[in-house]
Amino acid sequence: MPGLRDLQAAFSAYLKGEDRPDLADAVVADTIAASARLRIHRHHVAESLATALGATFSTVQAIVGDQFFRAMARTFVVQDLPRQPVMAEYGAGFPAFVGGYGPATSLPYLADMARLDWALNMAFHAPLEGRLTAPDLTGLPAERLLGQKLALAAGSTLVWSPYPVDRIWQASRPGATVGAVSLEEGPAAVIVLRRPEEATFVSLSLSEAAFVRALDGGASLEEGAEAAFSVDPAFDLASSFARLLALEAFAALQQIC
Amino acid sequence: MRPVAGIGLRSPHLAEIARDTPATGFLEIHAENYLARSPAVLTVERLRRDYEFSVHAVGLSLGSIDGPDEAHLGRVAALIERLQPALVSDHLSWSIAGGRYFNDLLPLPYTEEALEVVVRNVDRLQRRLGRQVLIENPSCYLSYAHSTLSEPEFLSELVCRSGCGLLLDANNIVVTAHNLRLDAVAWLDGLPASAIGEYHLAGHAVNDADGEPILIDDHGSRVSQGVWAFFDEIVRRYGPRPTLVEWDTDLPALDILLDEAARAARALKVDAEADARAA
Repeated sequence: MPGLRDLQAAFSAYLKGEDRPDLADAVVADTIAASARLRIHRHHVAESLATALGATFSTVQAIVGDQFFRAMARTFVVQDLPRQPVMAEYGAGFPAFVGGYGPATSLPYLADMARLDWALNMAFHAPLEGRLTAPDLTGLPAERLLGQKLALAAGSTLVWSPYPVDRIWQASRPGATVGAVSLEEGPAAVIVLRRPEEATFVSLSLSEAAFVRALDGGASLEEGAEAAFSVDPAFDLASSFARLLALEAFAALQQIC
Repeated sequence: MRPVAGIGLRSPHLAEIARDTPATGFLEIHAENYLARSPAVLTVERLRRDYEFSVHAVGLSLGSIDGPDEAHLGRVAALIERLQPALVSDHLSWSIAGGRYFNDLLPLPYTEEALEVVVRNVDRLQRRLGRQVLIENPSCYLSYAHSTLSEPEFLSELVCRSGCGLLLDANNIVVTAHNLRLDAVAWLDGLPASAIGEYHLAGHAVNDADGEPILIDDHGSRVSQGVWAFFDEIVRRYGPRPTLVEWDTDLPALDILLDEAARAARALKVDAEADARAA
């Protein structure tokens, strides 16, 4: 007669795929075997978590189809079960898993689509308040502004890919009118944002992406502009900064001193 | 809360409910879907003007030997503090062990040891929330050879020792009774009537296990005729309570869900009228 701790440990091991005859021995069998009864739980754990991943990684699921996605998700689930019960917070490791998933190697952009799905999911669940707006900077002298460091707002994430992830995302929507996307269209960068009623993303030029990446890494506005100039000498700091500010991509300043 | 019938609020219906505010007794949310500050939780906060709410947790894992996760408990407590729902509930089951969450309501052995664990965990939850919680009977697919109590005995003793209430899920009783070869009506015998604070109704699927039918509590269809008949028996025996129709997979149009709740409301009312006539 197992104690509760041993029983829950044995059940957990079984759900992770181990063969546990000791657990089956503890379960009442009749015309339905203990193993068949236990399988209902193993099946539910894998399938319900695959469904949860499908909700979060809906673009990946749309690209590869339900059957392929569920097989991939079930493989991930057994390796990386959730550490907490909030399903919207499960799957941080899935993009990297997708990148290394053998059967998906013919879709080299798939892991980046998973990163974009994950960033959109994180943005949707991020708080809306605490964003920097243009009036917050009124009266700040230009030289102080250039030395200012700006963090990205909660939910703002830069996704940078060698593939046209923005166009692939649009082409994967139900009822998409975007034509065929060629991987030869080259790299793309987007910034994912929390909007009042949704999460969305906006495409950036590669110089803007370099600017955002530098700021996200702790650079000042001036240092960020230098990073952008190195990508494209035609980078226009004033217009790009105004655009990102209007998108409320940055976190409110803690204090301006 | 008055003994009205309501529906489980699921995200695909959220915008329509916020726009049309259709008539229904109350709305129940799963706590774990509203712990972040998403647009959805702000909509729910606004809907509190129009509806009473119930918060149904699925992840506190009140049957875990190590107890509920402290961080998760804190987040659920903060949600309840914000929403001030009429009812709060979770299940007689476990879903976390060794720091991993299984997203399933896993079965407990009904032993004195497990009872002490659940009493301790429910006590901790109620102290943290400063209020009574309702504990729901799970749908069972297996039982353990070393159980020494029946499920109703376990629940009754849990009520007695922790002061919690009960959420009777009529569908789960029918599913459990079928799968474990029990008599559903006899399952109802001797429950502490005054502790029963809510009923749940849902649809189930019939699957095959070793060539025999087994009922799966999938919340993916209308409530079955057998469950409606059994619900009448529950209401006859224990009286009307706030009643919630749950639907989670293959979610139908909102109208169908509201129609199921309207049927539940009629079942509650018919009984209340019969009581009035008897009195």
